Amino acid sequence: MEKVIVIRYAEIHLKGKNRGYFERLFGVNLERALKGIRHELHRTSGRYLVAGYPEEMEEEIFTRISRVFGVHSYSAAYRVPNDVESIVEAALLVAPEEGTFKVETHRADKRYPLTSMQLNALVGARILEKRRLKVDVHAPQRTVYLDVRENGTALIFGAFEEGAGGMPVGSAGKGLLLISGGIDSPVAAHMIAKRGMSVKYLHFHSYPYTNDGAKEKVVDLCRTLAPYTGTRVLQTVSVTHIQEEIHKKCAPELNVTLLRRFMFRIAERVARHESAKCLITGESLGQVASQTIEGMTSSNAVVTLPVLRPLVGFDKDEIIIRAKKIGTYDISVLPFEDCCTVFLPDFPAIKPKLSFIEEEEAKLDVEALTKEAMQTLERIEF
Amino acid sequence: METVIYLDNAATTRPNARAVSRAQAFLDEKWYNPSALYAGGEGVKREIKGARESLLSRIADPAQFELTFTSCGTEADDQAIFCGARRGNAVTTSGEHAAVNASFRELKNRGVEPRFAPSLQDGRVDEEALLSLVDEKTSLVSVVHVASETGAVNDIFRLAALVKKKNPRCLVMSDGVQAFGKLPVRLTKDIDLYTVSAHKIGGVKGTGALIRKKTLTPFTYLYGGGQEGGVRSGTENVFGIMCFAYAAEDKFSSLQADGARARELREALFSALDRDIFARISPEEGSPYILTVSARGLRGAVLQQLLSRGGVYVGTGSACSSKKPFSAAIEACGYREDVLYGVLRMSLSPQTTREEVLACAAALNEEARAMKGRL
Repeated sequence: MEKVIVIRYAEIHLKGKNRGYFERLFGVNLERALKGIRHELHRTSGRYLVAGYPEEMEEEIFTRISRVFGVHSYSAAYRVPNDVESIVEAALLVAPEEGTFKVETHRADKRYPLTSMQLNALVGARILEKRRLKVDVHAPQRTVYLDVRENGTALIFGAFEEGAGGMPVGSAGKGLLLISGGIDSPVAAHMIAKRGMSVKYLHFHSYPYTNDGAKEKVVDLCRTLAPYTGTRVLQTVSVTHIQEEIHKKCAPELNVTLLRRFMFRIAERVARHESAKCLITGESLGQVASQTIEGMTSSNAVVTLPVLRPLVGFDKDEIIIRAKKIGTYDISVLPFEDCCTVFLPDFPAIKPKLSFIEEEEAKLDVEALTKEAMQTLERIEF
Repeated sequence: METVIYLDNAATTRPNARAVSRAQAFLDEKWYNPSALYAGGEGVKREIKGARESLLSRIADPAQFELTFTSCGTEADDQAIFCGARRGNAVTTSGEHAAVNASFRELKNRGVEPRFAPSLQDGRVDEEALLSLVDEKTSLVSVVHVASETGAVNDIFRLAALVKKKNPRCLVMSDGVQAFGKLPVRLTKDIDLYTVSAHKIGGVKGTGALIRKKTLTPFTYLYGGGQEGGVRSGTENVFGIMCFAYAAEDKFSSLQADGARARELREALFSALDRDIFARISPEEGSPYILTVSARGLRGAVLQQLLSRGGVYVGTGSACSSKKPFSAAIEACGYREDVLYGVLRMSLSPQTTREEVLACAAALNEEARAMKGRL
């Protein structure tokens, strides 16, 4: 008898001829998640099996698997030879001590001498000999699952743990996330990665108006996201000079609007370098002055890449619930003051007109400032 | 990194190399548990006793006071406050370090009313206002000796006497972390509790002490093996304690001369600053080791970062970390926001040189001027 972990994948089975591609990618992602832990990963029909791992690592493997997108569910199971005695022995380990239960058999090996119903009855009866349990086939408190495989083995397990769902990361191209250090952008990364997109990170800082603590906070956020996204690089660009120029020359109520246009321009250039096919932001409609439809329009106007805003229809509360679940919330709320508040106007424009924005922006040498900012591009590997 | 000009000695000091090397023996050979009864343990216990007496006798009469080692100044403050303020109300100043201020705010949850006396513009407590807050229900009065953010010195001995006159049953404590080893201090009978810290005078982080009048019943707050007279159990930080005692030995041997020299350098630093940009907050008669100024209209935290890039380390009113990124203690002195944002604190040590303070002033002038131009 051997302990193994059964991993079932989501949605991939929907894919027709591309299925092989999705499965390979999923396998690669699983291997990456389990890096550093001794194990064997086997692909069998419709599922993966982790075996040969040190027993004390089981909990850690569960944790890691629960963060891999594409996992529909997983179970801790016993792998035994498919003879009845071995199956019963394992079933007793899985069966509850009291209450109601049933046995549910799935036969991948249709040549097996007993039908599923026969095996249910037989194993159920053997469990009842040893335990004070009641059978309830309609609404049992616990179920003992028997999965008879083709290769002469059977898997016995008692529960399905819910996986992260979604599609294998990397199956839906690459996108560049503008990550600020706040609560929203990590949640946006998580949602997009869940649909299979590989997410790269770009952070804007205004050193010395912001400090290294703020940058480290973003690294911590990316590190927390890494089990989901697989990305271990953060790129940063300084927008200090741009902010100073805007502050000096333009209408104060447009400070943020103008800065965001610069950020989008820079992001698009970085995205092209990275062969990313879209920009991703954590904007939510109406959350702050720059996140109105007018604000979004003004940012979109300076780029040609599509901008994905997965949180656009979310309330702050909904975003916070997700951030807590992912584990980024506690980092996001750490108080590293954005000394950028130096540049914050008292009354930001809520519905800036594009013509006014362009008029104010004409006071700046946009191309030179953008190019200069690109020179400050840094890569942080973590 | 190239040599750093370090002017944030009120935050922490470079450990005194002589003290550290003397204390090294307590990691190499004399590492025994001081509670053990064999010769090795007994030996260490005797050394700790010696350190305790030597530290205490530097500022108080060992016949009247006793000293408990703690893990830091904050722990000593907390112990004094939560054990001293048990009923009625407790009075403190608006210029306290967070170690005292936050504990006083917590008192409210423990059924004791905290009262905060306003500060004068120079950072000292408004004495009359403080005394008017003291009544027959006051159980504790806490007045910082040297205010860490401005360097203002409160006359704690006179104040303590006045407080006792008004309410003889009330305890008086003082946070002496920025005073110990820097100002000549002799505790009087009116001071019940006094707190000190090792790493502000060349000791290592992880050691502080609470000095307490012997007539007070000790307040047990860490239960265990009965160390520190049962008040604070836990195996002693022998290395830290010995470093503390050795560092204090050096510090006190030249206390007067060091103070006079620091005062001179402090003034040299201030005179070299551009008066169009920097306004003085520290009073001249304050601690000779602290000079707090404000670069009005600029951000102290930003200047601090720019300076650090050039290897000059100075302090700010408080870290860029709270909702209000400036010091509440300095706000209490009545300054407006544009002054508060620009606060910088330079704090000296006996090792600070004239070249260092002048280089710091030059760097400050240059960065501040450049920043003014950019905004």
